[in-house]
Amino acid sequence: MMPFGGMAARLQRDRLRAEGVGQHHNAIKYLNQDYEALKQECIESGTLFRDPQFPAGPSALGFKELGPHSSKTRGVEWKRPSELVDDPQFIVGGATRTDICQGALGDCWLLAAIGSLTLNEELLHRVVPHGQSFQEDYAGIFHFQIWQFGEWVDVVVDDQLPTKDGELLFVHSAECTEFWSALLEKAYAKLNGCYESLSGGSTTEGFEDFTGGVAEMYDLKRPPRNMGHIIRKALERGSLLGCSIDITSAFDMEAVTFKKLVKGHAYSVTAFRDVNYRGQQEQLIRVRNPWGQVEWTGAWSDGSSEWDNIDPDDREQLQLKMEDGEFWMSFRDFMREFSRLEICNLTPDALTKDELSRWHTQVFEGTWRRGSTAGGCRNHPATFWINPQFKIKLLEEDDDPGDDEVACSFLVALMQKHRRRERRVGGDMHTIGFAVYEAQGTQNVHLKKDFFLRNQSRARSETFINLREVSNQIRLPPGEYIIVPSTFEPHKEADFVLRVFTEKQSDTAELDEEISADLADEEEITEDDIEDGFKNMFQQLAGEDMEISVFELRTILNRVVARHKDLKTDGFSLDSCRNMVNLMDKDGSARLGLVEFQILWNKIRSWLESLPSASSVMFLQTIFRQYDLDKSGTMSSYEMRMALESAGFKLNNKLHQVVVARYADADMGVDFDNFVCCLVKLEAMFRFFHSMDSEGTGTAVMNLTEWLLLTMCG
Amino acid sequence: QYNPEPPPPPHHHFTNVEAYESEEIRQFRRLFAQLAGDDMEVNATELRDILNKVVSRHQDLKTDGFSLDTCRSMVAVMDSDTNGKLGFEEFKYLWNNIKKWQCVYKQHDSDQSGTVGRAQLPSALKAAGFHLNEQLCQVIVRRYADEDGSMDFNNFISCLVRLDSMFRAFKSLDRNGDGQIKMTIEDWLQLTMYS
Repeated sequence: MMPFGGMAARLQRDRLRAEGVGQHHNAIKYLNQDYEALKQECIESGTLFRDPQFPAGPSALGFKELGPHSSKTRGVEWKRPSELVDDPQFIVGGATRTDICQGALGDCWLLAAIGSLTLNEELLHRVVPHGQSFQEDYAGIFHFQIWQFGEWVDVVVDDQLPTKDGELLFVHSAECTEFWSALLEKAYAKLNGCYESLSGGSTTEGFEDFTGGVAEMYDLKRPPRNMGHIIRKALERGSLLGCSIDITSAFDMEAVTFKKLVKGHAYSVTAFRDVNYRGQQEQLIRVRNPWGQVEWTGAWSDGSSEWDNIDPDDREQLQLKMEDGEFWMSFRDFMREFSRLEICNLTPDALTKDELSRWHTQVFEGTWRRGSTAGGCRNHPATFWINPQFKIKLLEEDDDPGDDEVACSFLVALMQKHRRRERRVGGDMHTIGFAVYEAQGTQNVHLKKDFFLRNQSRARSETFINLREVSNQIRLPPGEYIIVPSTFEPHKEADFVLRVFTEKQSDTAELDEEISADLADEEEITEDDIEDGFKNMFQQLAGEDMEISVFELRTILNRVVARHKDLKTDGFSLDSCRNMVNLMDKDGSARLGLVEFQILWNKIRSWLESLPSASSVMFLQTIFRQYDLDKSGTMSSYEMRMALESAGFKLNNKLHQVVVARYADADMGVDFDNFVCCLVKLEAMFRFFHSMDSEGTGTAVMNLTEWLLLTMCG
Repeated sequence: QYNPEPPPPPHHHFTNVEAYESEEIRQFRRLFAQLAGDDMEVNATELRDILNKVVSRHQDLKTDGFSLDTCRSMVAVMDSDTNGKLGFEEFKYLWNNIKKWQCVYKQHDSDQSGTVGRAQLPSALKAAGFHLNEQLCQVIVRRYADEDGSMDFNNFISCLVRLDSMFRAFKSLDRNGDGQIKMTIEDWLQLTMYS
C-alpha cells in the first residue's frame, strides 16, 4: 500500500486503524517494508539486505555530536556480524540481562528497559519475534515490533552495525557473539531518525515502547496515602514494577548501604502480602535484585528472626532462604529505604493469564494546531477552551474493602508524539499536562469558554512537564468528567495520544460537535423578484453581456469591502473569485448571471451581518491581549468556530483544524475575503455531499469521474 | 488513467540519506534550508515567494503570478497533518513535478504566446499523464483558463497540482480497486475543504 500525501493519507490511516491495523497481532509495516517479502527477495537473489530507508552511513549515526565529520564518528566502519565474529548468534541461551552492555551512547534508559524486558519472556518475544537467526535463511535482515504512540509497528533493519576498531560502537552483549540487542537498538534508532536521537530519556519511555503499557512514577518520599493499595493492585494486574534508591552524586552509583541495598540500581517488586505478626497485621513486600545476589539484610530478610513469630503455614509459603537476589522486607522499611517506584501497567492484550484483573483501556488520538486547537493551559482563558476535550463517565466505585470513600480510580496518560524525531531540526518535547472538570449534565458537545470561566477543575496532572508523557492516577466520585489535554503555552503544535485506564467499565468519548449545516432551501429567485435598484447596479457592473466575469466579480467585491473600513482584507484574489464563481455557477458559463449574482450577494450580506458580533468579541480580546490595533478588523481564528456556527455550520475539531489551516493567515487571523471564500465553499460542499447522498444514508459513493468533477471545480 | 510518480515518504520520517545524495539534491536541500528557515518547513507565503521568484526569471512563461490563495491550496492538497506547511520531501516532490510540467507547458505553447491555448490543453494534460474526458476538460477550462480559454503558467501549475492530488486521493481511498469510493460527510469535508 502506498502512502499518499494530503488529507486522503490521513483518512486512509484512520480507516485502517478502525479495522485493527496497528494492534500487536497486526502491526503496521514501518515505511511499508515487509520483512517476509524483503527477506525472500534477498534469498532468491543471493544477496544480503541493504536497507535503503536507513542506509548504513554517517547520517544514521547522528546530526551533532555524532554528526557527519564529528570526532566521535571518525573511523567508524559499518560491519555485518559475520565480519566481526566467526559464528554470530541472534540469541544465546535465551535473552538475559547481561546481553545488554551500554556503548558510546547515552541511551542507558533504553537499555535498562530492554534489560527489564528480558525478565519476562512473553513480553520480550512480542518485541523480538521468534524465528530469526544467522544460520537458517540468513539474509542480513531482521525485524522487531515496537509500540509507537498507540500502535505497533514492525521495523525492518539490515545487520550492518557501526563499529570502531572491530568492536560495536553502541550496545553489545557480554556474549560477544550475540547480536539481538544491538539490532533492536538499531531498529529503535531507525524509528527515531538516527542513533543520536536516542540520547537521554527515561526508562519508562522504553518500557512503554516495548509493552504498549502505561507507566507511572511515584516519589516514595511523598507517596499518595494509598501507596500500598496501588502496589497491591498493580501486582494483581500483572504490571511491571521497578524501584530504586536515588543517588546524590555519581560517587554514590551502585554504593551499597549498611543493610545491603544498592543505590542507583533498578530493583523489581514481585509480591505484596499481609501476615499476622505478633497479633498484628504486617505488610510485606518482595523485591528482587536483578544481579541475582546482594540481598537486604534487615528485618524479614532471608532467615531473619521475624519469621519465627508468624503462622508456620505462612512461613512455609513465603520464606526465602536462597541467595537468589530476591528478598522480603516490611512495607514500612521499603518506604523508608527506597526513593522511587515506577509502575508499567500493561494493556489487556499483553496479559495472557486469565486470573489477572485488568484495566479497562481507552485510547484517543488528537492534535493541537495553532489557531484551532492549540489553546494552552488554564492560564490562558481566552484560548483554553479550544483544546480537544474528552468526556469520561465513571459508573461504579472501586472494590476496595479498606476504603470507605466512594471513589473511582482512573489513570490518565497524555503522550506527545514524534517529538524525539524533531530534535535534529531543533525541536524537542513540549511542556504538557491536563485538567479534569466535572461535567454533570452538560451536553455532548465541545464546551465553550464560559464553562471554563465558571467551573474549577476537579483534578489535574501533577505538573506540566516537558516529558514525552505525563500520567497520573486520579480518584473521583462516580460521575461525568471532562479531560482537557493541553500544552502549557498556546500555539504549540503537536500530535498526542490520550489514554484513559479505569478500574471499572466506563464510557469515554471525545467531546465533539455533530457535523451539520443549516442550509436554507436553495433560494428560488427569478429575475422578477429582483429589485430594480439591484438590477441597475448589476447592469452597470456586468456590462453588455449581462453576466459577471471573474474579473468583474473581483472588482465589485473589492469595491464593497473598501467601503467597510472596519473589515481587514488584502482584497479578493482572482483565484478566490474564480473559485466562488465556479461554485455558484449553475449553467456552466463560468460567469454569474443576474440571479446567480443576487444569490451570492444575499449570502455575503447576511454573513456581513453575522460578522460584527464575532468580530466585536475579537475586538475586546484584542485589547485584552494588547495586540496592536491594526489587526482589529480580522477575526481571530478562535472566533471562527463561533462565526461559522452563527452562519449555520457546525463542524468538529478535525474540520476546524482544516478550516484554520486553509483560511487563517500566519498571525491566525481570518480576513474578510477568506471568511467569505470559506463560507461559499463550505456551503457548496455540504450541498454537493447531500446531492451525492440523496437518500440521507450518511455515506456518499462516487466514482473517479464524479470525484474529479466535484473536486476540480472548487 | 493516471500513474503518478512514487509519493513522497511520510512526513515524519527522516531518511537521512544526505551521504548518498547526488550533488543536485544536496544543492536543492541547501536551497530548501534557506527558503524554509529554522523550522525546515515551507508555508504558503514562502512557497508563493519562491515560485514567483522562479517564474520571473523565465520570460517565456506568461503568468500574473501565484497568489497566496493558490499557494495555500497547493500546500493544503499535499499536507496530511494540517499544519499548513510542506516538509523537504513534499516540497521536492512538488518541485520535481513543477519542473516536469514546465517542460510540458513550453512544448504546448505552440504559438509562443507564453500560454497554453484551449486547443492544446487536452494534449498538454495527456503529456503530463492525465487522460481526461471532455466533460472534465471543460470543468478545468472553466475553472482555470482565461476568458479566451488559454491558460497561463500559474493556473496551469495549480491545476495540475490539484489534479495530481485528487487522483492520488481517489486511488488511496479506493483500496479494493473497484473504482468507487465511499465517504462520510466528515471525510468529504476534510478532503475538499483542505484543498
